[in-house]
Amino acid sequence: MRWEVFKQDTPKKAHQAVGSVHGADAEHALLNARHVFGRRPAAVSMWVVRADRIYSRTAEELAAESSAGADGTDTPPATGTGPRTYLVFRKSSHRRSMTFVEHVGEVEASHPRDALVSAMSRSADGEGLAWWVIEEGDVHRSDPDAAESWFEPALDKTYKQQSQYGTVAPGAGKRSAS
Amino acid sequence: MTPQTELDAQVSQALAYRLTAMGDDELLLGHRNSEWTGHGPVLEEDIALSNLAQDEIGHAVMWYGVRGELDGSDADDLAFRRDPAQFLSSTFVELPRGDWAFTMLRQFLFDCYEAESLPRLARSAHRPLADAAAKAQREELFHLRHTGLWVKRLGLGTDESHHRSVAALTAMWEAFGRLLAPLPGDEQLVGAGVLPDWSTLPAAVFARVRAALAAADLDPGEDPVVPPLAQRNTVSEARTELLGTMQAVARADPEAVTW
Amino acid sequence: MTDVQGTQDPSAEEKASSFEARIASGEKIEPGDWMPEEYRRQLIRMISQHAHSEIVGMLPEGAWITRAPSLRRKLVLIAKVQDEAGHGQYLYHAAETLGADRDELVDALLTGRAKYSSVFNYPTLTWADVGMIGWLVDGAAIRNQLMLAQCSYGPYSRAMVRICSEETFHHKQGKEMVIRYASGTPSQRRMVQDALDRWWWPSVMMLGPHDSDSPNTPQLMKWGIKTKTNDEVRQEFIDEHVPELQDAGLTVPDPDMRFDEATGHWVHGPIDWDEFWRVVKGGGPCNAERLAARNAAHDEGAWVREALEAYAAKHQRTESVVA
Repeated sequence: MRWEVFKQDTPKKAHQAVGSVHGADAEHALLNARHVFGRRPAAVSMWVVRADRIYSRTAEELAAESSAGADGTDTPPATGTGPRTYLVFRKSSHRRSMTFVEHVGEVEASHPRDALVSAMSRSADGEGLAWWVIEEGDVHRSDPDAAESWFEPALDKTYKQQSQYGTVAPGAGKRSAS
Repeated sequence: MTPQTELDAQVSQALAYRLTAMGDDELLLGHRNSEWTGHGPVLEEDIALSNLAQDEIGHAVMWYGVRGELDGSDADDLAFRRDPAQFLSSTFVELPRGDWAFTMLRQFLFDCYEAESLPRLARSAHRPLADAAAKAQREELFHLRHTGLWVKRLGLGTDESHHRSVAALTAMWEAFGRLLAPLPGDEQLVGAGVLPDWSTLPAAVFARVRAALAAADLDPGEDPVVPPLAQRNTVSEARTELLGTMQAVARADPEAVTW
Repeated sequence: MTDVQGTQDPSAEEKASSFEARIASGEKIEPGDWMPEEYRRQLIRMISQHAHSEIVGMLPEGAWITRAPSLRRKLVLIAKVQDEAGHGQYLYHAAETLGADRDELVDALLTGRAKYSSVFNYPTLTWADVGMIGWLVDGAAIRNQLMLAQCSYGPYSRAMVRICSEETFHHKQGKEMVIRYASGTPSQRRMVQDALDRWWWPSVMMLGPHDSDSPNTPQLMKWGIKTKTNDEVRQEFIDEHVPELQDAGLTVPDPDMRFDEATGHWVHGPIDWDEFWRVVKGGGPCNAERLAARNAAHDEGAWVREALEAYAAKHQRTESVVA
């Protein structure tokens, strides 16, 4: 099973989608996410979400649906009836090459499509190039109290950080002829 | 924390011995785990076990380093230029990597041992040892989370995974008891406050192990015997094989001053 | 080589031209966006080959982890081979966003139907090979990956940015080793020159056939999947590495290698493309060994994967709390 991974680099930054891991269950996926995306700094928190539980739309898809009159209420099904909390993620720039969708907030809605419509109406501030909407209960989060043991040791593993090597000059390893 | 005092010569020697044994254990366990790098059963697990291997070898570097501060020894010389008879590793970490069940359960038992030993060492009267232990403890918490996850999946997964886990535990159980045996000189270290609460260590480790194994429907039988004194100088076949491989390049060119 | 349906269906033709306009303006194509089937197919082909190369690429160097001659080298090499697993992981993810299934891609590798980089079918004979692979093979790979980081497909581009940053560590640690050994003991010097003799040409070849023999390149460039040709990337690699190897006191094993004052580029001698194709098609010195190692890991891991699935199925409902 595939799980999308969201990583938060510092407490002030938003969680960003960084890739996915395979995992048999949520606990396994979360540990795998730590192993794969936390082996170098920096991270303070990680979330995993089953890939098939994410409602995603790009700007192009939304435009096509709107011109075709489609309501886009296909996937994924909500887990019950009535309003619930959805987390909204947005990609807002073509410029920053590393950034895909990042967490922009929560909305109350009874369906992911409604959550998306509501989120879009609220965020006239920036461009929405791609959107992900995820029901709160589908987000499995690393324990904030365990952050020290999960993420801080990576800081000490300087041998795998390219910045620690500097420029290697030929002749640097010369030994005396003795 | 007790401020660091000058260690008398006898205590210092005993501490160097213990640090070497602890470093050797971590190094050889990390080495065995690193044999999986590139051969893991799942891509993500290949990455995970390589993390654990780096952590354990990193801890070996740390313990050798604390010894180096005592007697000026060099970590690479300790690792690569000692003969098998000079190593102080436990048979427990020397045993071949075995299958995934053996590897995960051995790492789990070792994590349980460190989950009890590191908090004690973090209260050591020898400040550099206490600081190093506190640092290693962070990683060990995460290790225990990882191997604890595997104990459940191995014990409760399929009949095959359960049988393999039982066989693995049986194969390593006696050696696990010997891992916990006091080293020559520990008595002085306990007396000097370098090893606080050391006598309660084995029982605490076994209690921890039992609780986790029971939750995974695994019963290793009676607690293994902890001998009154460890015999770390005994050379096993596994140690000779491991060091023969590990030291092959480093010792092939005695002239080399740097690798 | 445009989409076949696109030439018949006017709305698809419209889509194709707006797709190409988006790429021309520097936008990234994201999962969910419309794309020509051929764009999707070419990307899955390239990305999966790239992923397989990372996975098989763990083996030649991985064989030396247990023999690394210092504690630092041991840590570095585990981390490096681990990164290759990680890079394979990121790349399979990028392929999955295009609808590919990782298990099926892996199966194609294990059964010998998928290609991977020819360079990993050469043996690692001494410890110095580890350094040389880091400097040359990763040096060549970075050149290619820096180009692919500009790729029009968002997930591939992002995977490449992440990979390039980690790969720079691989390159630097290899370079550090080679330079150190090149001025080390006589046996270290012999070992490192021998490694260069064996790895130079495979590294030059791994950047792919000449442009004239690379039929996919023009379309891939038009779609912004590739932004440089194989020969352009190869030239960058040679221009960067030849002078540095010479500075280190090593001899590049190409008697025709010369610096062209007029163009400011290094000019290499003829490449043995027969060897390249032989290795790509399975006739390299280690093809069988590499696939056997991957198959063994997969087969021996079967019961482990079954245990994970069985546990997850049993505990799906009872374990809702994830710490």
